[in-house]
Amino acid sequence: MNRRPSWLAIREPLSPRKATALKLASFLLPLLIWSIVSYVPFIWHPMILITSAGDSDLFVKGERFTRELFASENVGLVKDGLKPGEGYRVNPVFLPAPHEVLKAFFVAFKTPPYSKGDPWLHQSLWHSIQIIMWGFFSSAILGVPMGILAGTFDAFSKLFEPFIDFIRYMPAPAFGALCVALLGIDDGPKIAIIWIGTFFQMVLVVANTTRLLDVGLLEAAQTLGASRRRLVINVILPGILPNLYNDMRILLGWAWTYLIVAELIGASSGISWFINQQGKHFHFDNVFAGIMMIGIIGLICDQFLALFSTYLFPWLPNRRGTSMMTVVAGAFLFFPQRYLWQRGRDKAAKRAERQSSGSIAAKPASVATKPFPASIHEASAGGAIADVSIT
Amino acid sequence: MSQSLELPSYLEKEPAVEDRFRRIYQRPVVLDVAGLGKTFHAANGVVEALRDIHFKVHRREFICVIGPSGCGKSTLIRILAGLDYPTSGAVKLDGHEVSGPGPDRGMVFQNYTLFPWLTVKRNVMFGPRMKGHQYRVSEAEARKWIKMVGLDRFENSYPNQLSGGMKQRVAIARTLANQPRIVLMDEPFGALDAQTRAQMQAYLQQIWLNVDVTILFITHDLDEAIYLADRIVVLDAHPGRIAEIIEVPLPQPRTPEDFISPKFLATRKRLDTLIHPPKMNDEDRLPMVKMTEPGDDVI
Repeated sequence: MNRRPSWLAIREPLSPRKATALKLASFLLPLLIWSIVSYVPFIWHPMILITSAGDSDLFVKGERFTRELFASENVGLVKDGLKPGEGYRVNPVFLPAPHEVLKAFFVAFKTPPYSKGDPWLHQSLWHSIQIIMWGFFSSAILGVPMGILAGTFDAFSKLFEPFIDFIRYMPAPAFGALCVALLGIDDGPKIAIIWIGTFFQMVLVVANTTRLLDVGLLEAAQTLGASRRRLVINVILPGILPNLYNDMRILLGWAWTYLIVAELIGASSGISWFINQQGKHFHFDNVFAGIMMIGIIGLICDQFLALFSTYLFPWLPNRRGTSMMTVVAGAFLFFPQRYLWQRGRDKAAKRAERQSSGSIAAKPASVATKPFPASIHEASAGGAIADVSIT
Repeated sequence: MSQSLELPSYLEKEPAVEDRFRRIYQRPVVLDVAGLGKTFHAANGVVEALRDIHFKVHRREFICVIGPSGCGKSTLIRILAGLDYPTSGAVKLDGHEVSGPGPDRGMVFQNYTLFPWLTVKRNVMFGPRMKGHQYRVSEAEARKWIKMVGLDRFENSYPNQLSGGMKQRVAIARTLANQPRIVLMDEPFGALDAQTRAQMQAYLQQIWLNVDVTILFITHDLDEAIYLADRIVVLDAHPGRIAEIIEVPLPQPRTPEDFISPKFLATRKRLDTLIHPPKMNDEDRLPMVKMTEPGDDVI
């Protein structure tokens, strides 16, 4: 009589606990696999990191060699009666361990750039975000009205869509050279690439969303006396708004994918410049950190917009279960806070204990926060951020 | 229904009912449907949906249109609402030919078509606002009609928080708030369960008795048509044309007891023969093979 809910019930929602567990697992499982590959030596570890070169003139301390090369070189050395090289098994340099990436995540913000005048990481990130926003908003300002017009009036649909369908198949990066020739090498072509990558899709997606609006609502409004202008303003616009909002969320994700190509055009800049730069210097922990930063910014942005939509559109039926945002927020905010709170209580308890035991030496409790390195602020004064403008 | 039951003719009326129809026909004509025809160009040639539809609706009359599926009921009401165009004939409202949709002909749809982003109050205010009335005026107007359909506790709810019957009551209030000359209803209770449907029929009857409103109501439910209508326009299919216009021989207002009165049953029988002809074609019969064991019969 009491049906036990199955993990694999067809087209039925899981219980909130199971759903949350799986949402966490979807992040933890890849992390687990990564950790196993990184920390368990016999899984992969195809390289040897040299700790002592011995008498070899091939080995260099601190460099990685394949196990085969290491073994054959050492066999030769031993045969000749020379001192063999020493080292331990490691993964290739392009696969850093999770803790290294985690460290890089925080250290990367504090590490000064290789050459003076180059942007710091936070400046690169901010620059990228500005490029995205300019590109995306300039395409939305034109693309959304055009899409709504095309979805509402067949005349505009026939006028816009055939040509847009044609351009849509041209990959945005293919316009790179043209954009540089037209707009120079700074931010202009980068914004243009994002514009080209999102605008044409946007018109078609918005037109389609507009066409999906229930015709019954338009007919009802007409029998209630709505004029053509009123139909567009009072029925079509509010009617498509939730779906339009979702479209924008998805297209913003596309803008991020075009960003990486866009930033390599002309004078490279932003987060992909950072990633490339770190890759050239074999700092793959920083490369991973940079890639993940994009992912995390994207995820937080997207989940924030999703959460916000429930406040924007109160008439939509509530979705069940915890949103991804709650999980992310819980992971990032709840646990450290609780930990700090717990620590604060411990401290207070200790202080009370000390005071009651008659010791006067109790120092005023102050939260030990490390001041942010002053050098970051100095560097930003150097004008490393190029002016963002559409030229 | 046993065959031996002697039913009166559906054409016979009591003097009071006879007298009522005489008074109805003296009232001004609100809607005049004159020689309406509609043909579609489909893939397999020209399809004639409606042919030569003639009838008049008088002020404060309740008219039902019924017919078998595919008889063009919905096409007819869409043309009357101005959402579709006839290929011949004309629709006259108060003597003036109309084309295109307008607030003078309110429409209630089967699937409610409430604006999901507006609260109940804002939905009902939509018509008055479109007329250019002030917010306060529209709000007062809307409150009046929401109260009339008994939903004043829900005026700030969104449509998706309401049940089907409540949604349809909001839709009726929204149409009435516009004070149309005629309310066109396209199978408004078709999506509701039997109990809610009976309740809605009673509500609609109450509204019709107390509000100055003329109603043209489409349904495929014969009992619903007889219970509500003064006259029933029966359509025939392929092409859609008028088979008969029946004057319901029961006094208004009807009560649930009328459902088993001899006159009701006589009308019902007449509608049955008009809509479901008694003869069954061979191709309509299912090719049944006996698949049960002997001695396992249900009868």
